[in-house]
Amino acid sequence: MRGGVLEILWQAGRGILYLALYVLLISGTDFVLFNLGWCLIYLGFLLFLPINTPIVVQLLLGFLTGITLDTVFDTGGVHAAAAVLLMYLRPWVLRLLTPRDGYDSQDSVNIHQMGWQWMVVYLAMLVSIHHVAFFLLELGSIRVPGITLAKIVVSTLYTGLTLLIIQLVFFPTRRRSR
Amino acid sequence: MNNLLNFLFRYRGILVFAVLEVLSLYLLVRNSSYQRAAFFNSSNAYVGQVLDWRNQVQDYFRLIDVNRELMHENARLRQQLYPPDLSRRQADSLPVSKDSVTQARLALLGRPDSLLLGLRQLAAHDPDYPLIPARVVSSTQRRVDNYLTLNVGTANGVKPGMGVVSAEGVVGRVKVASEHYTTITSVLHSKSTISARIQRDGTIGTIRWLGDDPTHVLLDNVPRQNKLVRGDTVVTSGYNAVFPEGVRIGTIESFVKEPDKNFWTVQVRLAVDFSRLTYVYLVTSRPKAERDTVEVRAGIKPEAEERP
Repeated sequence: MRGGVLEILWQAGRGILYLALYVLLISGTDFVLFNLGWCLIYLGFLLFLPINTPIVVQLLLGFLTGITLDTVFDTGGVHAAAAVLLMYLRPWVLRLLTPRDGYDSQDSVNIHQMGWQWMVVYLAMLVSIHHVAFFLLELGSIRVPGITLAKIVVSTLYTGLTLLIIQLVFFPTRRRSR
Repeated sequence: MNNLLNFLFRYRGILVFAVLEVLSLYLLVRNSSYQRAAFFNSSNAYVGQVLDWRNQVQDYFRLIDVNRELMHENARLRQQLYPPDLSRRQADSLPVSKDSVTQARLALLGRPDSLLLGLRQLAAHDPDYPLIPARVVSSTQRRVDNYLTLNVGTANGVKPGMGVVSAEGVVGRVKVASEHYTTITSVLHSKSTISARIQRDGTIGTIRWLGDDPTHVLLDNVPRQNKLVRGDTVVTSGYNAVFPEGVRIGTIESFVKEPDKNFWTVQVRLAVDFSRLTYVYLVTSRPKAERDTVEVRAGIKPEAEERP
């Protein structure tokens, strides 16, 4: 954590970037795979927040992100509910994946620091949880289980792989200095 | 109190989570039950602006489709604007119109398929007197000897010596026929003569062309004692072996008595406008060969006949 105002500004900029990218570009019909896969790329903002972000701040950021998207796409509270659930479960998953000797103060959600197994498990768990919640809420019930399941699976893979690529391309390659 | 605060702080995560989750679900339920009634919806100005940007960005990805659609639409509009090549083409013969008046008139004539050519009704499908429709494919009017080319030939039954008439009147006579084309000597030929008759009183004369004015011909050999009236119709005479009797040639426009001649000099305005001639018919007067034979045998040289 770089500390202070700079870090907050940096995270705010990241959030705006992710949201703008999703709203303006990725949510368009051109980026939907086979009518089944949506790339919810804004999850990158929430998932790649610093590890030691306070839980209340995480939840509020999730709610803020979700409600913004709900406002834009007229979906009521689907994005918000799923995002809040995601942010609530994130610390649990982080705790589950804690390395043998705990997180360092400079550890962050970074594939180059935490290793690819850690990152894959982290992304797979959280993204699939989010997508299950998201698509079930979006549908309102489990009326068409087949297609919903297909949507969940395809979208999870799509979003997960995209976030993995973002990790690999855009995150600093500092080795864990342990 | 302290315990309460401790409790709240200890369980802040799940409490905030519960509050936000309930709020989200409340918004979700409200949104689905009252459409657009929710506070957070896309009908406010800021979100509208965002959605505008979104459209602008996503339009870039549709440029190919949009361009293709525009191209197709352009092609369609061009097609509407410019008729295809074929639409300017004219039929190679004049069709008999199908409307009820024409059909009734044709039925009244006894021979249902007859044509009125130069005031003369001619059977269209009489095997003895074939009537061949044709289209003029080239013509001249400004020379001394003028010819026209038609799009029919011996394959259609054209024989040298047949007459050519249009709906307005006499056009000329077949000179040479190939398999698919025919050259005809038009009335506007220095050597062309046509035996003619003034329809009002039956005076016989000869039509010649002086070689200067493509709209007028000269009616010669009308005796000076005959009375002439301006506007009289001049038709082909029965002496004619090329044209059927009574096909219009033109109307008398002026006549003068020249002192050194025994005949009137009569200017006849041609009924046919050669500059706009398109559809013509080839006609046969009668079994001409037989008549020629008997006349030659009697030692008579036909007086009024085109000899181009």
